Amino acid sequence: MLYLEGLTIKRGNKIVFSDFNVVIQSGSMTVIKGKNGSGKSTLLRAIAGFTPLEQGTIKKDKKNVFKNYEEWVNNLIFLDTKNGLSKDLTVAENLYAWLTMKGWSTDKKNLTMALKSVGMDKYADLYISQCSEGLKKRAALARLYFSFNNKVDFWILDEPSNELDKTSLALFKQLISIFLKQNGTIIIATHDLTIAESEFKILDLDEIKKQRVL
Amino acid sequence: MNSIYSSWSNIFLAHIKRDILINFRSLIDLISIIGFMILIIILFPLGLGPVQEKINIVSNAVIWVGLILAIIPSLEKLLQKDYENGWLDQIATSPIPLEIIMLSKGMSYWLIMLIPLILTSPIFAILLNMDLKNIPWLVISISSGSLAISLIGLIGSALILGTKRGNILLPILIIPLMTPILIFGVGVNEAIKINEPPYGNLFLLLAFTLIYLVISPFISALLVRIAIGR
Repeated sequence: MLYLEGLTIKRGNKIVFSDFNVVIQSGSMTVIKGKNGSGKSTLLRAIAGFTPLEQGTIKKDKKNVFKNYEEWVNNLIFLDTKNGLSKDLTVAENLYAWLTMKGWSTDKKNLTMALKSVGMDKYADLYISQCSEGLKKRAALARLYFSFNNKVDFWILDEPSNELDKTSLALFKQLISIFLKQNGTIIIATHDLTIAESEFKILDLDEIKKQRVL
Repeated sequence: MNSIYSSWSNIFLAHIKRDILINFRSLIDLISIIGFMILIIILFPLGLGPVQEKINIVSNAVIWVGLILAIIPSLEKLLQKDYENGWLDQIATSPIPLEIIMLSKGMSYWLIMLIPLILTSPIFAILLNMDLKNIPWLVISISSGSLAISLIGLIGSALILGTKRGNILLPILIIPLMTPILIFGVGVNEAIKINEPPYGNLFLLLAFTLIYLVISPFISALLVRIAIGR
């Protein structure tokens, strides 16, 4: 369970959220909805620990995540619209660099399996500068595969499905359902509500803000 | 605890390898540094006229100033690329401390961009008519000073992350920090020229390098955290 308690988040001098409370169940999927500029990415970046909180705490099972930050990021995969891929490295090299940085095994068989899980095995030796936006996104999503053999239990995804075609979207949905079955928790910001086949909770930022005003 | 440190050093080395690979795939930065340096070395004697003694007096300073000026354009990209493509976000959500990655960034920059300059500095020295007895000391002082310069550059590069037109601000912010390095670096060879022992200047230069080796990863990691939190 992830408890967001009384969050106040500022972006520049503007308050994006004030006194924001949400509980996110373990093993569930939460879709964050809201119009452009409603603060979806800001909220995700605050949960991941990038944007400092003005007020409030984020607790995972009674432990403040920022006081146990190493443990928190160890169990977390964060993916946003910037994919974190260097354009001068190939798809496989980027994945390899990411794995070593996470401190996980860089077993070649697993690497191939991960690329296969998003249909990228044919493009392993392609430079990122030569990839289309969809291929880049898939190369970034290949990281999610490693949550199955490392003890990851949390995904924070920001608009992961925007550039995907039908086949890779199906593969992505498959990854999501396997992860949920393993009691993983997903927070996802997207406009595409067809993304999950299983049950999910909607967190509508526009609604929350409207209620605040009334 | 032991295993944590060994895994940190593995990640440190792996990250240096990654940066070296990236930089050798696009050699443009390295070529621009060496090209810029060669231009400075060529232009100075032309500006001074054909009297050999004049060149001899300034040769030492020209190499040091040329080194500092030549690397300024490339410093801006040291962290900018990884900031824009989201790699710094990925580092921030990994168990490795950001400080270690910053140290690896400073070291890889030094290895890629400044080692070639250190290796070619004897050639520049000969082109500028420097005394042969000065050349080993030039290489020693530049080896140490350039590490300090790249670590200062790392701070500057982290400082301008996410700002527009930061590249214009960067030299103004970091060149003042480099002045002690320049003074003591030049001092080593000036002492040799008048047959004095160069150790005072050299040790002060090394001291500055060590100070920046310690503080630069912490300052730049702090600045990167601010930049990705915006």
